[in-house]
Amino acid sequence: MGWYYLGGITMFFFIVQVVTGVLLLMYFQPGEATAYESIRFLTTKVPFGWLIRSVHSWSAHLMIISLVLHMFSTMMLKAYRPPRELTWVSGYILFLLTLGFGFSGYLLPWNKLAFFATTVGTNIVRSVPLIGDWLLQVLRGGQDVTINTLYRFFAAHVVILPLAFVGVISLHLLFIQRQGMALPISAKVAPRGMKFFPSFALRDVLLWLACLMLLVTLAVFLPYGPGIPGMDWELGSKADAMAPAYAGIKPEWYFLWEYQLLKEFPPHFFGLEGPQVCLLLITVLLAIWAIIPWLDQRARRDKPSPAFSDFGWAAILFLTYLTLMGWDIGASGPGNDLALVHRSARVCASWTLVAGAVVIAIRYWRFEHRWFVLTGAALLQMALHGFVGVSYLLAGVISVVIAAIAITASYFMRSRADEKGGI
Amino acid sequence: MRTIPIIVGILLILAATFAAEQSSAGTSPELAAMLDAKDKDGKPIITQEQRTYFNGLNDNLKELLNQVVQKKVVTRPEHLGLLLALQLRPQKMELVLQNNCILCHSDSETQSSEDLFTLGSDSHHSPPSHMNLKEIVEDTHFRRGLSCAGCHGGDPTAAFGHAFVKEWPESGRQANREWIVQFCARCHSDPTFMHQFNPALPTDQLAKFKSSPHGLTLLEKHDSRAPQCISCHGVHGIRPAKDPQSKVYAQRVPETCGACHANATTMAGFTRADGSPLPTTQLAEYRTSVHGRALLERGDLGAPACNTCHGNHAASPPGVAGVSRSCSLCHSANASLFDGSKHKQAFDSHNWPECGKCHGDHAIAKTHDSMLSSAPGALCGDCHRQYAKDDPKCIPTADYFHQTITRMDEAQTRFGAISEKLAAKGLDVEPINNQLTDLTDNLKKSRTYVHSFSRDTFQQVALPGEEAIQRTDTLVDKAHEEYKYRQVGLAASIALIGFLILAIYLKLRQLEK
Repeated sequence: MGWYYLGGITMFFFIVQVVTGVLLLMYFQPGEATAYESIRFLTTKVPFGWLIRSVHSWSAHLMIISLVLHMFSTMMLKAYRPPRELTWVSGYILFLLTLGFGFSGYLLPWNKLAFFATTVGTNIVRSVPLIGDWLLQVLRGGQDVTINTLYRFFAAHVVILPLAFVGVISLHLLFIQRQGMALPISAKVAPRGMKFFPSFALRDVLLWLACLMLLVTLAVFLPYGPGIPGMDWELGSKADAMAPAYAGIKPEWYFLWEYQLLKEFPPHFFGLEGPQVCLLLITVLLAIWAIIPWLDQRARRDKPSPAFSDFGWAAILFLTYLTLMGWDIGASGPGNDLALVHRSARVCASWTLVAGAVVIAIRYWRFEHRWFVLTGAALLQMALHGFVGVSYLLAGVISVVIAAIAITASYFMRSRADEKGGI
Repeated sequence: MRTIPIIVGILLILAATFAAEQSSAGTSPELAAMLDAKDKDGKPIITQEQRTYFNGLNDNLKELLNQVVQKKVVTRPEHLGLLLALQLRPQKMELVLQNNCILCHSDSETQSSEDLFTLGSDSHHSPPSHMNLKEIVEDTHFRRGLSCAGCHGGDPTAAFGHAFVKEWPESGRQANREWIVQFCARCHSDPTFMHQFNPALPTDQLAKFKSSPHGLTLLEKHDSRAPQCISCHGVHGIRPAKDPQSKVYAQRVPETCGACHANATTMAGFTRADGSPLPTTQLAEYRTSVHGRALLERGDLGAPACNTCHGNHAASPPGVAGVSRSCSLCHSANASLFDGSKHKQAFDSHNWPECGKCHGDHAIAKTHDSMLSSAPGALCGDCHRQYAKDDPKCIPTADYFHQTITRMDEAQTRFGAISEKLAAKGLDVEPINNQLTDLTDNLKKSRTYVHSFSRDTFQQVALPGEEAIQRTDTLVDKAHEEYKYRQVGLAASIALIGFLILAIYLKLRQLEK
């Protein structure tokens, strides 16, 4: 039942974002000579200014964590089944808007790290076919990341995205209010419902208070984040376009899997540019994610759909492996760069395989799942890449082909069994 | 129908002519044959690299090569290959191709091994350095058009011209090296002549050399072990002092001087003014010194080499009075403080070399604050107990310097670490860091002001340093209080939120009973 509260927790963090964001806005002055300075002034001179910025940053990361958990729990419980397809889609749009909030807010302090991370991040849109260069100019407000970029990111962060977010979240809440909470497929009979008010609402408030407690504790003890790359908001020095970009610059943790996937693609790929193919793959994956309510035909008929549960777990493992590699886990010690990359892949594969094995075991014994083809394919790819040393893409192709053969074979076997049963 | 083959034939002839023109543009048949020559194994004698260099030559140089081949100055492809292997820039190549001395003396078929210029690329048959062709063409004189004939005489454009200049000793020139300084001075002591080439170059080298112990040994004692021009500058490969390959480039000076001064055999019999033998440990000591490490290991060209203190052409020991003057060229603040101090008179009365007495000479080590201590074994304490027993103020003053500087140094390290920790906790450390900058600045100045050996003068910079310590202390206390305030605030907030959680939980239980 705990999964039902994740949406509420996400909304709590969003409310915290709005409140602290408005407070930050009282001091923030966008501009070449003022953006960095105003944030510096706020955090060093304004009473509790440091706390507001710290809470805003922590809450942003916690909101994304709870949002991702909320999406995966919705997916695993198949809560997107009719008539709730639009609830899923509106939630999906909220997810994209939240990533937009993260990306646009990151640049606003106008410090060195944000400047270079945004330069690298915005550069990705250049790979969009035909309109890539134009899109880059629209995003940056010119050829390069300049103060004009900050102006438009600021406008997006405090006006465009909040308006869109409030609009979509209203719809999202309206759908939930009209349709109620979804029941798991396994619940054949609807249990006696809990009254939204006061029972559910008070539980929500209780959890929100617990989240607030966690939030202020983290904000006081770790005001610049936990010190993990991609989750660190120490102001550092001011952005300087003339300064050399420092090596090993990384995006925020929730974009790390994309960053790592881009790194795994060669510069040229079957006549296309590697980043273009990668971007296409990411778009396809995100599109599949968006239209899952329509793809999952068994769930639409209120039947268990183990393949889609397995798809969710495979996606989690896929993202975990890429994120760990993006963090360079295990890439330390002697050896050249290539040796370190191989060592990192091996260590990350080990961790993810252990996690995968635990997940499969729990699903097998606790939830009596019997369909693990996609999870198996994801784990096979990691094993081939991390232990055998096959390239990431080739390992992916091998795994997908094996998974496709397994699915086709199981389909034919089931058809034959059905025929025999019919006779 | 016949016209088509005729047109095709004309086009073919034109194409062939054009191709032939292309392949032989600027190359005579003799030269082309040499370029294409093969050895007995059928391998090309002119390497691909040499061929590429030849192809890149301009028409003028190709014509000059044609001429030297036609005049039979260069007759063999191996000889041609040697010239191309130099890979010279056009200006230098032009000089080489117009210089019959080099062209003849680089032909191994006509020259004896003593008179042959070679490249020296073959480690088994490397020529003596003065016969290395690469060195000769890099010589600063050669670049300015002063080639073999400038010193040896003769006519470089004539087929044979071996008339030596009259200053050139026909015999005995290896045994007695005195003639060399006069020979170089023909040009280098003539301001009008030198002005044509390098107006900034001094022309007093000979006068300085004559006054130096090196010059006196060579010219008055007629001892040819003493160095002359070519000992330090080289013979045919003389380069400007700013060229890193020059023997007198700052980083190579210690090695050049050490060639004699670190050699016990060469230095045997040479003595100091007091009659004691000249040591040969200077180079080894210098290498370990703070100056030697800065110059030789860190590549800091501002660090002194031998000639910075001893001079170049007038190289001599600096003498007691000269030591402080040499040091003061760089350490001017320390020197001026010392000059105004009581120590100046005391050192003069003992005839001690000022800086050298405490810091040493060739083996100057990095200074340490413990030198100021009055404890046994420390520099100040030991010296004062021996030489200034009667002055009761000396030891306490040394102790005051030592304690103050040690306190500032310790505070600087401590506050630096505290500042980092506070910054990690999210506190504003800018004011602390500003004070730390003040403290660091005053610490540096205090270490310099020790050379005044006066408590009052020292305090001009030490007191602001001590004040910076106090201000930093106050700021650190404030930062700690601020952090405590945050923790207390957090505890209160958590207590309040906890109370609310408990209240809601109890209410829920009550509602759902």
